[in-house]
Amino acid sequence: MDIFATIISILYQFATNGAYLLLSALGLIVILGMMNIINLAHGELMMMGAYTASIAWHQGVPFWLCTILAFVVVGVFGALLERTIVRRFYGRELGALVVTWGISLILSQGALMVLGPFLPSIPIPGGSVGVGQYSFSVYWLMVIALSCVLIAGLWALYNYTTFGLQARAAMQNAAMARALGVNTGRIYMLTFSLGAGLAGFSGALFAPTVSIAPFMGQQFVAPAFITVVVGGATNVITGAVGSSLLLSLIKTPIGFVFGAFVGTVALLLAALVIIRLMPDGISAVIQRRIDRRNRFA
Amino acid sequence: MARLSHLLNLLTGPEDIGRSRWFWTGFVAVCVLLFVYPLWLSEFEATNIAYYLLNVPIALGLGLLWGYCGVLSFGQVAYFGIAGYLYGIVAGNMIGDAVGPIVGSLCGLAVCAVVAAIFGYFVFYGRVQSWIVPILTLVLTLLLETFLGQTAGYQWRVGSVQLGGYNGMTGIPAFQLGDYVVAGYGFYYYVLIVVVVTYLSLRLLVNSRHGKVMLAIREDAIRAELLGYDIRARQLVVFVVAAILAGVSGLLYVQWGNYITPSQVGLLQASLPVIWVAVGGRESLLAVLLSTWALNWLNYTLSSEGYRYALIITGVLLVAVMVFFPSGIVVALARELPKRGLRALLGEREGEAK
Repeated sequence: MDIFATIISILYQFATNGAYLLLSALGLIVILGMMNIINLAHGELMMMGAYTASIAWHQGVPFWLCTILAFVVVGVFGALLERTIVRRFYGRELGALVVTWGISLILSQGALMVLGPFLPSIPIPGGSVGVGQYSFSVYWLMVIALSCVLIAGLWALYNYTTFGLQARAAMQNAAMARALGVNTGRIYMLTFSLGAGLAGFSGALFAPTVSIAPFMGQQFVAPAFITVVVGGATNVITGAVGSSLLLSLIKTPIGFVFGAFVGTVALLLAALVIIRLMPDGISAVIQRRIDRRNRFA
Repeated sequence: MARLSHLLNLLTGPEDIGRSRWFWTGFVAVCVLLFVYPLWLSEFEATNIAYYLLNVPIALGLGLLWGYCGVLSFGQVAYFGIAGYLYGIVAGNMIGDAVGPIVGSLCGLAVCAVVAAIFGYFVFYGRVQSWIVPILTLVLTLLLETFLGQTAGYQWRVGSVQLGGYNGMTGIPAFQLGDYVVAGYGFYYYVLIVVVVTYLSLRLLVNSRHGKVMLAIREDAIRAELLGYDIRARQLVVFVVAAILAGVSGLLYVQWGNYITPSQVGLLQASLPVIWVAVGGRESLLAVLLSTWALNWLNYTLSSEGYRYALIITGVLLVAVMVFFPSGIVVALARELPKRGLRALLGEREGEAK
């Protein structure tokens, strides 16, 4: 029984870290995979999601509705951002990085000035369940389940809808997709909006577990960007899932023994070694393997 | 004599704005003016001017890396911090010894070079995509800040120097040459010489053979490689040079203020070099030098009342420049003015035009 409980506990830790990395990075990877643009304002979009959720929750809105509201609000904001600024930087990756950094500075300081240094937090919904001598937070178990649902949903979106088909076409060859009548500008806007919305949604989900402050986005910078670097941009879903699981495998034991900070340092070192071995990330390696199998089949 | 004229040719080579006889006359005049200027200044004002200038090396290093080599780094302040902290530790433990500051400076720069070389080995020899370098350098910076921030306890002591957590490291000794402590007017001249020497040597570098290869890599990395150049090694070398230059600024900073805090490697500080370079124009060393000076002066002047808005101003400036002047304000002016028939009059004097 004891060993069983310990195994469950380790699995729980592993899944929690994996879900944390996945949710932190998902919106970023969606945008990167489509437009090869890194959105440095990602952390601030998560902050906006958390703010939206917190404000709505304290107005009496149920929590699950708050997260959806955060998705919609930040998604719309993302679409506006894409139309006004980001659109000008397609094909100029470094320019896009710098301009989105400028946006992130404006958003975090703007939130500080408009809404003050902190917002009242949201209590963690759900209690805890015990197995043996360990207890697990129900909320985190739900977050883990939700990330699986989210990935399944994204997979369905990319594989079974017209938008998904056109998006994959635009990813593979934008010029050809345009020639065949796909409105790539619209696809880009929707993708950026989706990525921003996912960032807002994750921010809302994390809102009960962190203190809600204008500069809270910073804490997601390191985990999210490392996950993206390791995942690569070849395939959104395999990249996000593969990378967050692999990194969780590294972070869980090291963070458990040496504490959270050393765990994050280990992530950076792991990322350096991994890009030396697979420069285009884990998704490119998986993609190559799939392609090879298809060729022989 | 032949070597001298070769050097002069390199100096006036095509890879920076400002090449005419007019420009160089102006350049020498400005240098002379800066050297005699302290005669009219109080010691306090001279130290302030030194403060605007001491960030020029880190900005020039980033300009070289981003504008001339096509590699963007958000983490130059990490090297700034590493050099500053190491100088503080080494020189602080050698107080009373006249060579302490020199040993400390060399240690700081050496560690910058080593860290940059290790980091650069993984990214450049992995041949990663261009967006990965800025992201990982940013992560490195944030982790360094987190680490330094939690060094508050008494156990975080190296020899007799406290790292000090978020309160920072204090009492860092000034630079010293023999028995001469470089402070006040002396510090002004010290910074001025470092800045002028850095600028001129980088100008030699970008016009040299190595500089041409650098530009070739920026324009088309695969083509440069097919022509037989090892782009990985070239990029790594430039990355290390930029890190050392960032370290130089870090040294000057701690020698100026005698303290350093973890916020010097924080997110706001990390954004500043990028802004100086982007606003001036990354493809010109002269533009970077001018905008760094101007923006530091502006920041210093605004800092008394406007600190609350510092991030917003910085962010708006960055977005506006990237949208309206993608090549930088100084460079845009330098390219536009001659077209309007002012070449004879102002063509190469864009520096003064700003």
